[in-house]
Amino acid sequence: MTPEEVSEFEAKIRAYVGRENGPRQRGKDDVNLAMIRHWAEVIGDENPAYTDPDYAARSRRKGIVAPATMLQIWSMEGYPMCQSPKVDVQRELHNVFESYGYTGTLGTNTRTEFYRELRPGDQVSYHTIIDNIVGPKKTGRGMGYFIETVTTFTDQNDEPVGRQVFRVLKFVPPPQDAAQAGGGQQAAAVEAATRIASPRGHDNAWWWEAVDRGRVLIQRCKSCGTLRHPPRPMCGECQSIEWDSIESTLDGEVFSFTEISYPRFPGYPYPLVVGVIQLAEGTRLVAGITGCDPSAVHIGMKVKGKVEQVDEKTWLPQFYPV
Amino acid sequence: MERNISDRAAIVGIGSTEFSKDSGRSELSLAAEAVKAALDDAGLEPSDVDGMVTFTIDQNEEVDVARAVGCNDLTFYSRVPYGGGAATGCVLQAAMAVATGIADTVVVYRALNGRSGHRYSKGVSGDLITGSAIHYGWYMPFGLLTPASWVATFTQRYMHITGCTVDAFFEVAHSARMYAVNNPAAFFYQRPFDRAEYDAGKKICSPLKIYDCCQESDGGSAVIVTTPERARDLKQPGVLIRGVAQCSAKDQEEMTSFYRPEIGCLPEMDIAAKKAYAQCGLSAADIDAAVIYDAFSPIVLWQLESWGFCKPGEAKDFVADGALRIDGRLPTNTHGGQLSEAYIHGVNGIVEAVRQVRGTSVNQPRKTINHALVTSGVGVPTGGAILGRMG
Amino acid sequence: MNRETLRYGGVAVGDRLPELKIDITTGLIVGGAIASRDFTPVHHETKAAQDVGLPDIFMNIITSNGLMGRFVTDWAGPGATLKSIDLRLGAPNVPGVVMTVTGEVVAKDDAAGTVDVSVTGENNVWGTHMAGVVRLELPKEA
Repeated sequence: MTPEEVSEFEAKIRAYVGRENGPRQRGKDDVNLAMIRHWAEVIGDENPAYTDPDYAARSRRKGIVAPATMLQIWSMEGYPMCQSPKVDVQRELHNVFESYGYTGTLGTNTRTEFYRELRPGDQVSYHTIIDNIVGPKKTGRGMGYFIETVTTFTDQNDEPVGRQVFRVLKFVPPPQDAAQAGGGQQAAAVEAATRIASPRGHDNAWWWEAVDRGRVLIQRCKSCGTLRHPPRPMCGECQSIEWDSIESTLDGEVFSFTEISYPRFPGYPYPLVVGVIQLAEGTRLVAGITGCDPSAVHIGMKVKGKVEQVDEKTWLPQFYPV
Repeated sequence: MERNISDRAAIVGIGSTEFSKDSGRSELSLAAEAVKAALDDAGLEPSDVDGMVTFTIDQNEEVDVARAVGCNDLTFYSRVPYGGGAATGCVLQAAMAVATGIADTVVVYRALNGRSGHRYSKGVSGDLITGSAIHYGWYMPFGLLTPASWVATFTQRYMHITGCTVDAFFEVAHSARMYAVNNPAAFFYQRPFDRAEYDAGKKICSPLKIYDCCQESDGGSAVIVTTPERARDLKQPGVLIRGVAQCSAKDQEEMTSFYRPEIGCLPEMDIAAKKAYAQCGLSAADIDAAVIYDAFSPIVLWQLESWGFCKPGEAKDFVADGALRIDGRLPTNTHGGQLSEAYIHGVNGIVEAVRQVRGTSVNQPRKTINHALVTSGVGVPTGGAILGRMG
Repeated sequence: MNRETLRYGGVAVGDRLPELKIDITTGLIVGGAIASRDFTPVHHETKAAQDVGLPDIFMNIITSNGLMGRFVTDWAGPGATLKSIDLRLGAPNVPGVVMTVTGEVVAKDDAAGTVDVSVTGENNVWGTHMAGVVRLELPKEA
């Protein structure tokens, strides 16, 4: 864009700040037991406060309440969204961004506050304003602007019942990304980060290739039988360069470990516990410890390992408490 | 006479740049400034320099530093591997060169943009098929990527076998910070912390929290090594290199020696300590103050044991009595350490140990410092040096 | 789900919540979208999702919010009241991934009787799907 175009664009988008996305509107459905039950069913929420009338009647609430996280649901437009979404002020603003090349859309944050619990029969109305536009900012997705909308929810007595701030990033997708730019509120990186793989060279490729096939091997000196890990080209005991391997049963115990909190690297799940595992065969192996609360991991804990796929590209041995 | 380099070389000049989080200039500029400052301190000219030693990981070529500073012909140059483990190894190289007559005046330097440039906390990655990448390949896929994660794994084991608790880590970190509070050159000048803040610190890798981890800094430090004879004619009182040693112990890996019978200890430092003491006939009882490499607070404890200030496993009790503080048995890291002054890979520590012996530390202990110990980074092949007053 | 509501005094900063693993299925994604009356095509129609560069339909934000809320109240019990959810979104939840939700108590406000729980949902393929802080009020007395 030329400097003139930039100022024209800036003027256009800033004019939206403070505008309402239509007048306050009443939700299509009042708070009701059926929608609550449908929601709880899908979310797997067994909280009796939402679905068990007897329990709810006996509780301090004296009756059923709706899950707080349904707040936004009472304002949803429903089926028309998949036919011809209405062009409201918010949609217009997105169109302005898109006409200047900011075609990427990414929902980045929501902050929802719940002032009171809603009960069947409550009538929820909502009112959204475009509260702020922050940018331009260089983001991981490309140059972009954050649009912040604020929706206030009120009840039949005009009393506020909640408030939601929604942040959406509109960005200029990098060229290779153009096809992936539009639409979805949550369209994140398609090329997902994976764990950093070990480079494979003459001395270690065979070991990693076995892991790819689900097996953990331990190098063994053909001459004196000494096991060694990590693999190396010569036996430190007898200096033989002839070797084969045995397969580990992956029975072991934790010799030491750490729970890694920071920094966090893309492609790794956190909290991440990594241990030095004393294998039954006598050698040690560094590997992940999973399947229990990190605070339960301790030195001496008996573990059993298996090779698992941990991301799209990576197979690794992981150890579970016995 | 027994072959020995004890008392055959002396440190006669020290210099550092400002320490910061964003120097805004090249590493070469930091190196040149630190070297020039050390030469000025000694009262030497750039043309007096005929040797240079630095770390293999230092990005400043010796020839570039020499040209920048205006040195003359160099007849000795050498590098020491293994990150912070190189610090006193560079002094060993310089001392050997001077003792053997290979060079007369050797500069040891280290300069880095450790915060604004390449940050070690960002971990290793697997871009190249080198021996080092193959080695880190045993750890990277599992997420063991950073120095903190490796040291934490040793620390967990150390706590298990010794019963040491975070109380001792706090004492190490806190005593260093209290020194930094008085040191205008320190990043944490006038910024104390208390136990509640320490306990609330961000979790890094269990059991390490943020206050247990050194900073990342931009800056440079240098020292000048020459013969004791020449030292007597120079501006500053010379500081003798009484003993200096390096060691890579059996079954060493770079930061990940997880395969030894026991890993909550530092066999390489135990051996280096014995050798350094043997060179000069001194023992722990003769050491009055120290600069102990503190990339992470627990590693100070292990080194106190290696150098014989207490028995193995008893460092927690040693520090609990305030031994590291200014009026304690062994005032340690009086500049604030790498935890609280700056992380110049231990070379700022060599500078401070020289100051301790000269009597010019900003936190100078009240007693006479006849001998100061300075050590290198651990987890890697490492070592240490014993510095002393010239008779 | 814990049927006994936790008391404010019985919860400490540093307490960890029981981990929850959720299989992300087409049924959950479509079910969550429809139960939240979010008929945006990317949440129920593969082609629409592929048009925006993703391999398959993906979970809508309301469902993520719902799962985060459920994770915390499962632990806290039915007498707890959600006060706010501050949610940061990351990688998409698509069918076939497994999301592991973990949480830890990070703050307490004695005056308000509220507890802040930091929650992270990691999916096993693409990393962090959601991270945030849930504030809930717990009864002070039994």
